[in-house]
Amino acid sequence: MNIIKEKFKEGLSVVLPIAVLVLVLNFTIIPLEKALLIRFILGVILMLLGLPIFLLGVDIGVTQIGNLTGHTLARSNKFLFILLAGIIMGFIISLAEPGLHVLSGQVDFVSAGQISRTSILLTTALGIGILLAIAALRIVYNIALDKLLFILYGIIFILAIFASSEFLAISFDAAAATTGAMTVPFFLAIAAGIAAMKKDTQAAERDSFGLVGVTATGAVLAVLIMSILGKSSIDVAELEYTLPHTDSIIGPFIVQIPLVLKDVFLSILPILAIFLVFQKISFHLEKKAFRAILKGLIYTLIGLILLLVGVNAGFLDVGSIVGYELASMDNAPLLLIIGFIIGFLTILAEPSVHVLTHQIEDITSGSVRRVLVLAALTIGVGLSISLSMLRIIIPKIQFWHYIIPGYLLVLILTRFTPKLFVGIAFDAGTVASGLMATTFILSFAQGAAGAVEGANVLVDAFGIVAMVTLVPLLTVQVLGLIFKMKSRERSLEKYEGYEGL
Amino acid sequence: MKDMKDFELIVTVVDFGLGSKVIKTARESGISGGTIFLGTGTVDNRLLEILSLDHVRKEIAIMVTESSVAYEALDKLNEKFHFDKPNHGIAFIIPVSEVYGTRDSVSETIIKKDRGDENTMYKAIFTIVDRGKGENVMDAAKSAGAKGGTIINARGSGIHETEILFSMPIEPEKEVVMILAKNEIVDNISSAIREELKIDEPGMGIMFVLDVNKTYGLNE
Repeated sequence: MNIIKEKFKEGLSVVLPIAVLVLVLNFTIIPLEKALLIRFILGVILMLLGLPIFLLGVDIGVTQIGNLTGHTLARSNKFLFILLAGIIMGFIISLAEPGLHVLSGQVDFVSAGQISRTSILLTTALGIGILLAIAALRIVYNIALDKLLFILYGIIFILAIFASSEFLAISFDAAAATTGAMTVPFFLAIAAGIAAMKKDTQAAERDSFGLVGVTATGAVLAVLIMSILGKSSIDVAELEYTLPHTDSIIGPFIVQIPLVLKDVFLSILPILAIFLVFQKISFHLEKKAFRAILKGLIYTLIGLILLLVGVNAGFLDVGSIVGYELASMDNAPLLLIIGFIIGFLTILAEPSVHVLTHQIEDITSGSVRRVLVLAALTIGVGLSISLSMLRIIIPKIQFWHYIIPGYLLVLILTRFTPKLFVGIAFDAGTVASGLMATTFILSFAQGAAGAVEGANVLVDAFGIVAMVTLVPLLTVQVLGLIFKMKSRERSLEKYEGYEGL
Repeated sequence: MKDMKDFELIVTVVDFGLGSKVIKTARESGISGGTIFLGTGTVDNRLLEILSLDHVRKEIAIMVTESSVAYEALDKLNEKFHFDKPNHGIAFIIPVSEVYGTRDSVSETIIKKDRGDENTMYKAIFTIVDRGKGENVMDAAKSAGAKGGTIINARGSGIHETEILFSMPIEPEKEVVMILAKNEIVDNISSAIREELKIDEPGMGIMFVLDVNKTYGLNE
């Protein structure tokens, strides 16, 4: 029972902190209604059950499929095969990502139908597909990650000059929305699968990361290009913000179940399809391994359903009410501090973050401990929420004031950071903006924006996910720099270590 | 002529995250250092096997040291990590015939060769096969009476195996399977693996068996 206990412990350490925070707030400054509190606790219990099952499923199902797919791509030894397979896989997987559907609906709404739901869905998915192929080709052709990122972000900067501020925010959100709970482990494993075959161990270590980061730029590029070509602007629709209210305890859970079921099945089907097709043409797995992977997919499915129902029915309303109440208090430092703590704790509860940190430990044979990466990430996201709260309170601060200098700094850092950490940072950034960020943090920000006069719920909320993506890029790279300096100091000591075998 | 010194290789297989602690504890007993790598262990549990959850992440820590230090250190390790309790990992000692590069072995040190006559009850079977086939090795071994084993991811190539895909040199991925078994059943296990995996045909992998001097944590 060892492994189940281990995963359950992990789930506990993930969900408990944020539950405690909400309870503490409840008994001190923001008393919640009884029904809401009970729903929150039910949500926590569902997450506690769902997270371990999900993580187990990813371990024995999704990760294995991704690894094998990576192998197959590289083994083919054909440029055209990687290109086509990459585009097709990226396209269908992102089409199935629930987050992207939500986002494209929102964009359709704010652009008053100028940009239709379908067009943004298709362009983003195509962008992801093309960049997935490029990211895979980068690994097999040994093209340096920082160079590729430099080119991609260079193009993004140029496009950003022509695009409106709202679309800049939406484009980064599209990237965050497509890298969800299913796509991240799958993409990560593809990269690891290709890189693991390399003869040069250090190159294999480095190249295992960065694929998610590169792929996500596909969404940014696609949305930016579309907004410029379509010359569309956004009539900022002033939304009346209404606080969510319901007295029912069980009701919201029952409403959520069919919605979640649809989302989860939709996102797991393409991966199952890819698995079955490749099993026929390339994997030829033994029966036992084949069954284990299928079981893994079933666990992922069950885990994800529990998780999402818990989050959507139990967490969301609490998030926005806490945000609203806090912002109404007119106490800026308090809002910034609580914002930091919430960012810090929600990232701990993010399932994809745990997938990534495990991957990092596996691939570096444990020399980059996950606690360190986790610390860099949580502090980074905490900071990004504080900064976003500041932007909501002070309307003069524009979204691009953060994002342009931020990314410039990121690109400058890539020149100095060890290559391994560049890849990890870009992956971590996209991974951080997963399930929890787009639900709990987003609703917290919406609540806060709803309470502040002059803040626009929709526009201000759009940028926050992009911020969650940006700041970890900086903190993880700084971690890399520290790591580099430390290992230089230690190199003498290390030499002695080898002496003892 | 200096003293005749015997050297031993201490191998411990522990839960993920404990490897560094093992080496730290070993250092207190006078071992100068060690190497850690990752592996996958199996759990002997029917229910978990049905659920396909019978795999655990493990760390393997190996250390070379003098015999006089080795046995004492292993006792200390056992006190601290309780290998003798079920699911607390295993530890064993493999006699080493030549050692270079450690602090204790100056070039004049002559190591007594032809060892393995110590009365051992166990042997360690190592099988190196292509990635993905470790599972089959484990199944074959279990059918012949083995209790479990550890799979280690590795890479390596035979004479014809290095190739270049796109612009990256590829080394085939391998799995190393380490199985500890009582002397009486070692032959059964090794022949089961040889038969099942066709080890004797070229390019199908290699297998070797080492003597083990002392073991902790094998529950019979």
